[in-house]
Amino acid sequence: MASSIPTTREAVIIGGNRIPFSRAGKKYVRTSNQDMFTAALEGLVARFGLQNELLGEVVGGAVLKNSRDFNLIRESVLGSSLAPATPAYDLQQACGTGLEAAIAVTNKIKLGQIESAVAGGTDTISDAPIAVGDKLRRALLQASHARGTGDRVKALLPVLGHPKWLAPETPDTGEPRTGLSMGEHQAITTAKWGITREAQDEIALKSHQNLYRAWEEGFFDDLVTPFRGLSRDDNLRGDTSAEKLATLKPVFGRGLTGEDGSPLPATMTAGNSTPLTDGASTVLFGSRDWAEERDLPVLAKFVDAETAGVDFVHGHEGLLMAPVAAVPRLLTRNGLTLEDIDFFEIHEAFAATVLTTLAAWEDEDYCRDELGLAGAFGKVDRDKLNVNGSSLAAGHPFAATGGRILATAAKLVHAKAAETGTPARALISVCAAGGLGVTALVESA
Amino acid sequence: MIAVTGAGGVGSVAGAGAPPSYAVTELAELPALGGLYARGAVGSVAKRPRADVALPPAAYRVTDVDTTGTGPRLAAYQRVVGEPASDVLSAGFLHVLAFPLATAVMVRPDFPLGLLGMVHLRNAVRVLRPVRLGDDGVEVTAWAENARAHRRGVQVDLVAEILAAGELAYRGVSTYLAKGFTLPGVGAAEPGRPGGSADDGARPRTSGAGRDSWVPPLPTARWRLGKDIGPAYGAVSGDRNPIHLSSLGAKAFGFPRAIAHGMYTAARALAEVGPARRGDAYEWTAEFFKPVLLPGSVDLAIRYASDAGADVLPGSAGGFVYDGWRTGRAVRHLAGAVAPL
Amino acid sequence: MTDSYTRFANGGLKPLVKKLGLPQPAILRRHKPGSPLTVGPVLVVSDDASAADADAVTTVLTSWDLDVRRSPELAEGERFGAVVLVLTGAEHPQDVSAAVLTVGGILRRLAGNGRVVTVSRAPAAGDAPALAAARAGVEGFVRSLGKELRGGSTANGVQLADGAAVDSVSAVATLRFFLSAKSAYVDGQLLPVGPSTFSGDIDWDRPLAGKVAVVTGAARGIGAAIARTMARDGAKVVVVDVPPAGEALSAVANSVNGVALQLDVTAEDAADKILAAAKPLGGPDILVHNAGITRDKLLANMKADRWDSVIAVNLASQLRINARLLERGVEGLRIVSLASTSGIAGNKGQTNYAYSKAGVIGHTAATAPLVAAAGGTANAVAPGFIETEMTARIPFATRSVARMLPSLAQGGEPVDIAEAICFLASDPASGVNGQTLRVCGQHLVGK
Repeated sequence: MASSIPTTREAVIIGGNRIPFSRAGKKYVRTSNQDMFTAALEGLVARFGLQNELLGEVVGGAVLKNSRDFNLIRESVLGSSLAPATPAYDLQQACGTGLEAAIAVTNKIKLGQIESAVAGGTDTISDAPIAVGDKLRRALLQASHARGTGDRVKALLPVLGHPKWLAPETPDTGEPRTGLSMGEHQAITTAKWGITREAQDEIALKSHQNLYRAWEEGFFDDLVTPFRGLSRDDNLRGDTSAEKLATLKPVFGRGLTGEDGSPLPATMTAGNSTPLTDGASTVLFGSRDWAEERDLPVLAKFVDAETAGVDFVHGHEGLLMAPVAAVPRLLTRNGLTLEDIDFFEIHEAFAATVLTTLAAWEDEDYCRDELGLAGAFGKVDRDKLNVNGSSLAAGHPFAATGGRILATAAKLVHAKAAETGTPARALISVCAAGGLGVTALVESA
Repeated sequence: MIAVTGAGGVGSVAGAGAPPSYAVTELAELPALGGLYARGAVGSVAKRPRADVALPPAAYRVTDVDTTGTGPRLAAYQRVVGEPASDVLSAGFLHVLAFPLATAVMVRPDFPLGLLGMVHLRNAVRVLRPVRLGDDGVEVTAWAENARAHRRGVQVDLVAEILAAGELAYRGVSTYLAKGFTLPGVGAAEPGRPGGSADDGARPRTSGAGRDSWVPPLPTARWRLGKDIGPAYGAVSGDRNPIHLSSLGAKAFGFPRAIAHGMYTAARALAEVGPARRGDAYEWTAEFFKPVLLPGSVDLAIRYASDAGADVLPGSAGGFVYDGWRTGRAVRHLAGAVAPL
Repeated sequence: MTDSYTRFANGGLKPLVKKLGLPQPAILRRHKPGSPLTVGPVLVVSDDASAADADAVTTVLTSWDLDVRRSPELAEGERFGAVVLVLTGAEHPQDVSAAVLTVGGILRRLAGNGRVVTVSRAPAAGDAPALAAARAGVEGFVRSLGKELRGGSTANGVQLADGAAVDSVSAVATLRFFLSAKSAYVDGQLLPVGPSTFSGDIDWDRPLAGKVAVVTGAARGIGAAIARTMARDGAKVVVVDVPPAGEALSAVANSVNGVALQLDVTAEDAADKILAAAKPLGGPDILVHNAGITRDKLLANMKADRWDSVIAVNLASQLRINARLLERGVEGLRIVSLASTSGIAGNKGQTNYAYSKAGVIGHTAATAPLVAAAGGTANAVAPGFIETEMTARIPFATRSVARMLPSLAQGGEPVDIAEAICFLASDPASGVNGQTLRVCGQHLVGK
């Protein structure tokens, strides 16, 4: 590998564990992020016999957090069977949280600062924080800072006059700077790239079919531990079809106008967009020595990672297009091209996200003008894309998605290498709110 | 980048100050808007449309404006329009600061047009150097000039200039339309095409072609504006025109519901470009079309001028153009530009 | 977990229960680490021809710091905790009379949760008729005595086979198991014990120390109890259950510092997955085939899926896994399979289940010589009525009757099965091979 990466030791992926993902408001109602992450962690501990083990670090996070969860991951560790002396911290990078946590811990392993780690994430819509409106919040803060009851009452008096202030604010998936939902943002990108409804539905159908097959084959038997009576991702529809997907009404991208003034078709439906989901995931990493000393399996090496941001606020780039920029940098640095990749794990925030990503890499002008490449970056072999399903079928509990993908990718390259006797590689790409992209390269070990 | 704005949009900076023929009256302090409105409302009744509009050759000036005392108001303004907290007075706030003086000109008995019912057509501003909270020697001058024909009446520019330490820091031109008035020698209002000869060059350049063939671009943002935004901007700007404050007030002037201040929408677009990208010196223009009814949802395209097809430097250096329209409909609310100078 | 009737019958109304002739289940004494082996002094009795073996037994018992007596006299208020009746030398049925009657004479002075353990020789092909009669007679004696004993006391027998010495390792281990509280729910059973190849120190507190045990069906009930008891005895445990049971399974794994393996035992590659999970830990040394299902239906109403699934899980999976492990050359493997009293005595509505469980008893006997060749053993445990989530779903009346049927007049606890399995899986028990040990409180019917 022609590489400018300084030589460090390897960080290996030993395995993963997650709880089944559940559509918001279903099985995990009244289940907190801490409950879910602890459950995922406990399953991981059980799978690898890590009871009372002092790990180097546990890192993860949640995108939607209650304020009491300021130390969510540490609290989860304390509630787990790991040694209580295992350090932990929270990290947050929107939907890139899980994969960024993996980058953080593998870098420490590579540097020799730690020997072992768990990275992961959790998110719940069903137990999401509810905030009070700004006016009530200010009144409450003023009251709490007030000296004496009189001032306190005075600060709170306006609340009595404005019962509407008591209406809670629920978090939404809107971008803070634009006020557009992630779906609307993607719909704009989808329209720009002229991605059809049929192409999106095909991605969605494949996702369900692939995930269903993987479950039936027992692929997830050692990647998922049931939770709260749920033993499979409940968004999965093994019996969906192109016909069923075609009946769904568009939910994003209505009312967009083309340059010629004609209305653009709305193509994004609930079927080709990820649903709001609850869930948690974890991945176990170690130095090779640490894994071998314990006779733990070594599935893959966490080779390298690259993050990117795009200038989406003023519409120059699509909100979810940052991985498009990150991947060429990642592969080039490692002396690789798309041809060298055996598995593409491209997070399906929306079917269209995957398609616009692929389209951009195939577009010569775009790659030259926006990515600074000599020509088109290349074509992704669709047979290598999300072969065991992705977020459209599994669901997408924001911070938990990175861990889900990483464990799947590690298992895939391990199996492929065992079968062919030659190394196998997986490319992971996760788009995130704020115009962020987190990507990683995993290779069989 | 001059290319973004029509030449002469804000007038010549070199020729700062009121026209030489104008008499400048110095006031001790900026007048209170409330009183001016009362006078304006009363005066408006007397100012019937007539065919011989002539502007008073008079300017008002306040020297040593106290900027320190405006701290809390500035903070409130920044919160309402979405400007980041800063000691620098944004162009929008400078407009608000000078607005009472411009209003004082308009409520003069010899100002021929009625204050009530005047329509804000467009606004063009240049900030040449930052004015900061606590700056001494801030001087504000305002006058009216350039009365000219519009297809629906007479349009007039209210010009405000702000000097800091003797240097021109801000020049704003607000163009208002008084319906039904005509100019001497012109006769009936000229049914000129929009953007035609009746319009001067201050019309901000936008990505779309003329009004008739306007096509909404792909949005970059969406504003969900509540009923409270009218009173909120009214409080920080002092512009408590009843059409912004309540449905009832708006109905009295023929609107179905309260409408957002045009300057609020323009100021919010300016804020969304933000100080980091517009720089210390910049130009900010706005043109207002159909009013935004409250509550309402507005789709915005706030784009790099280069991405909108202008032949300027790419990215923020080339400035921004913005369009706003009713979400899901080709009903245009505003358009404008923000460009670093 | 003691059932409500047992609590009631042992409460303030105990005299009334007795007067009414209602069943009088005792509260069984179960093993607690550190508690004494027996509840009182141990009397060793033998016929004349067995005196030397009785001496050898006495030596063993004394080495366990037990209060061993050779004569039935007791001080005022004293009660025996156990009686060991050594009949290994008896060659004629008439030889045992004095010893047996001596035992009879002290039964009223046998403490609650007491033990009567016979040590005899198993009948063998070629025995003279009188010798065969003397040896076979012990079985009838033990089974009958089990039914006579009260207060949680049990009668069981060590049957020495293939010339095993009375103080050989496995004979001693079996004797100790029957004497101990670990056999609380084992009653009226004789266990044939052959010579043991094991030589080495025995840590009676942690007999499975250093062993890697695989327990299937371990997410709950008996399987979970087996895992916990194995861990208590020092084993590293790989707990196996179907993926949907994973949440409970991981909780069991974490409670025993073990490893969870989500696996359907009927899968083709189940044995390889078990090996892959156990190998990093240095095993497997012990495999417990506990996974089992019931799909009860009268045969007249039996559908293929009900029959086939029971056979697949309860029987065929064990055959496939055993065969594969032997093929992979796993050495010294101690296999313990779960049979059932249904497989021995039969049960209405359980033709499929009983077929599978009788099949387990059959394949265990047949597998024994195969694994023995690689230094291992294969045994089975046949539970009677055990208080589990599964049996809790049996209708109350049926459940209550089922509890009263055994001599001990109550259901057993999952831990009772677990104790028997841990005993059979331990190295000292290596002389026990191909056997099915009933843990049923001496169920009324069946052998």
